[in-house]
Amino acid sequence: MKIHTYEKLWLGAAMVLIVALIATITYGAVGLGISMVDDEEETIDPDALDEDDRFNDPRVEHVGENEYEAYVVARTFMYQPDPIEVPANSEVTFYVTSTDVIHSFSVVGTNINTMVIPGEVSSMTAEFDEPGEYGVVCNEYCGSGHHTMEGQLHVVPEDEFDMTELEVEGDDEVAEDDEVTLNVSVENGMLDDLETTIEAEIGEETFEEDVTVEGDSTYETTITVDAADLGEGDHDWSVTVDDYEDSGTVTVVDDLEDDGGDDDE
Amino acid sequence: MTMSESGGTYIDNFPAEARVVRSALYSSFLALALGGLFGIIQTLHRTDIYRFIESDMYYTVLTAHGVFLVVTFTIFFLVGVFTWAVTTSLDRGVEDIRFTWLWYGLMTIGTVMAAAAILAGFTDSIDMSADVLFTFYAPLQAHWLFYLGLVVFVVGTWLAGADWFRSWWAWKQENPDERIPLPTFMVLTTMLMWYIATIGIAVSILVFLLPWSLGIIDSVNPTLTRTLFWFWGHPVVYFWLLPAYMMWYVMLPKISGGKLFSDPLARVVFILFLLLSTPVGIHHQYLDPGIAEGFKFIAMTNTMFLLLPSLLTAFTVVASMEHGARQRGGTGYFGWLKALPWRDPVFAGMALAGLMFAAGGFSGMINAGMNINYLVHNTLWVPGHFHLTVGTASALTFMAATYWLLPQLTGKALWNRSVALVQVVLWFLGMTFMSNSMHRAGLLGIPRRTAEPQYQGFEFEAGVGSVAELDFQLALGGALLAISIVLFLANVVGTAFNGRSDDLPANEFAETLSGPEDSPQVLDNLKLWTAIAVVLVILAYSFPLMSIVDRGGLYGPDISPFPVSIETLSLLAFTLEQYTTAAIATTGEFVQTTLTGVIR
Repeated sequence: MKIHTYEKLWLGAAMVLIVALIATITYGAVGLGISMVDDEEETIDPDALDEDDRFNDPRVEHVGENEYEAYVVARTFMYQPDPIEVPANSEVTFYVTSTDVIHSFSVVGTNINTMVIPGEVSSMTAEFDEPGEYGVVCNEYCGSGHHTMEGQLHVVPEDEFDMTELEVEGDDEVAEDDEVTLNVSVENGMLDDLETTIEAEIGEETFEEDVTVEGDSTYETTITVDAADLGEGDHDWSVTVDDYEDSGTVTVVDDLEDDGGDDDE
Repeated sequence: MTMSESGGTYIDNFPAEARVVRSALYSSFLALALGGLFGIIQTLHRTDIYRFIESDMYYTVLTAHGVFLVVTFTIFFLVGVFTWAVTTSLDRGVEDIRFTWLWYGLMTIGTVMAAAAILAGFTDSIDMSADVLFTFYAPLQAHWLFYLGLVVFVVGTWLAGADWFRSWWAWKQENPDERIPLPTFMVLTTMLMWYIATIGIAVSILVFLLPWSLGIIDSVNPTLTRTLFWFWGHPVVYFWLLPAYMMWYVMLPKISGGKLFSDPLARVVFILFLLLSTPVGIHHQYLDPGIAEGFKFIAMTNTMFLLLPSLLTAFTVVASMEHGARQRGGTGYFGWLKALPWRDPVFAGMALAGLMFAAGGFSGMINAGMNINYLVHNTLWVPGHFHLTVGTASALTFMAATYWLLPQLTGKALWNRSVALVQVVLWFLGMTFMSNSMHRAGLLGIPRRTAEPQYQGFEFEAGVGSVAELDFQLALGGALLAISIVLFLANVVGTAFNGRSDDLPANEFAETLSGPEDSPQVLDNLKLWTAIAVVLVILAYSFPLMSIVDRGGLYGPDISPFPVSIETLSLLAFTLEQYTTAAIATTGEFVQTTLTGVIR
């Protein structure tokens, strides 16, 4: 076959370009460790996400030192959880699945970008060095409201990040001869111990308790005060743990049963 | 190279074929008009410059824009220009013109069916829609008429291919020792690629999506139908491109005033496309879960080698143009460029299309990079890329070629060459603005296929310029393109109303500097190349497909895939049973009615 000299040179240069492109990508995969979304996750039944430990409660979990996992559900036309909150200087693995049609999970301005296909779980690991706020968009057409499908990813400064949850249960009404009780539970989602102080205020009475909540566990305590000390009437209470606060009002009444009887009539 | 010896125009030599080709081209231009209209509506809506439709209707517009332009416009043009190429280069008419009209009719019916399903989405009074975009990814579901329309259309293209093969076989009987003329060679290799590629879409629609839309099956495996779509969805881009390549090889050198640089390399290029167009589709699924990284890597490697035929084409086309320029008295390293016929709309359009294709090729290399793809996948970068390839390399070449073909097909001179020149330049300018802004917007993460890329919770940050500036460029480009289409259509209509002309050039294509005699006979062994192409497809696709079915089930996540044969059989049995029951019932009714009639 007759091939002109210039054409042979061009052919050679084209082959060099092709091989160089493949080498570049291979370096990205092997050298920089950019792995592709692939088939390493098990399939999932998109109609039974509520039976799945990871996706029945879409959330972020602390799984190791500076390591987090985010379980995200995409559905028409929203993401759960929203916003997704993680600390700076962390490594986050996102697990994303869809409960209806094909979506995407694309964090704007980053290379976190994956298709989200019902029946499959996409997993990607990313490192966040700096705090920042990112938009999350669906860039795969998913129906008439596609353009409204967005979410947020907040990377908060490391020292401002915790996974503490405070929950307080208190009575609405207490008889004067009884005790006012507040059941306080402090959940620590982080793996490290949480050293903190539970501060409570009921009417004029104050309480303070230094506690250590172990990693990935919940500390429960009960605060009581004699209703008689508070006296008849409405009393505001509040419980504070770090930046979290829960509050309510308790009413101390003369005689609980009579009062209840009145309500019935 | 063989050439029409009669020396007349195409309509003089092949009046019956000219009618079919003309009809195909007019169908193509009607689709261009509609697609272009939807294009400008989208441009103004997305950029929030002028919104007069509801945003949910944007997706009906987008589906119509995509399907009318990349299926109807391109493929109707292809069948027209391929019929011209085969009849001209073999110098014989089609074997049976009724068969030719049959495939044209099927393609038209298919188009009307799919178009009806899409356009019905504009009104609530008809309970039918197909707002599934060009890719129709399940579980989004279109009306069954949409899927059936696509099937009928594709069957039409299959028969068109059969028509051209028939011509070639008949010609071979009479010319047993001759090499296949280059234009026919290009048509046949392109069609062989098409036959292989359409297996994907045929299985996807006939086995899954059509029965699913009719309620015969309950669910589908979204990854499977998506993968089958891209089995066809990548080679189809070469189906759009190869008619343009053919014109660059067989027409552009002649218009430049010279000869094609190398016939052998042109054959090699088309063989490479036959071999490599299909086993690459998974590169559209780099970011899909459920497909192993290894399969993606194989698809990427094949894709990168697919650059080779395009790079070879760049060389041959530029070398042929230079040869033409030097024949016209051009000199110097680059000075010859000035000697080219830039005022000829046919030349200017094709040359500018080629230039933009080079830019599109580079953004394509980025897309093809497996891990670089994370940055651009499904952003506006991607439409920026393919508006340079199918939207310019193909579309602008088709329009430029039309300025040469129309007089051949009608026997009438082109209505206005100056308007034609303005038209091709406007397309070039409009696309420069539009694709530039799309590529840049994509790098900011602005998504494609979105009615309102303006979000509540965050803003896109432009490193250079601003999002408003990008929107303005996009709208300006879109407007210039819309004007360009209007001018093009005006020229088509104007030409149709012209009187017959006697001084039209003869229907000829380019001669070659290095002819087929410089290449080994094996290049023309179509059976060999087809066999290798099939093997490559099996290698690239069998394991990914088996893995996808194994993971997600043949008919979706709910149904376990094994044993496949028994399940398929039971489904078949169930369907047969249903049909039989229905048939018996109908027969019974019919007999009863007849009997009643007779007794009365």
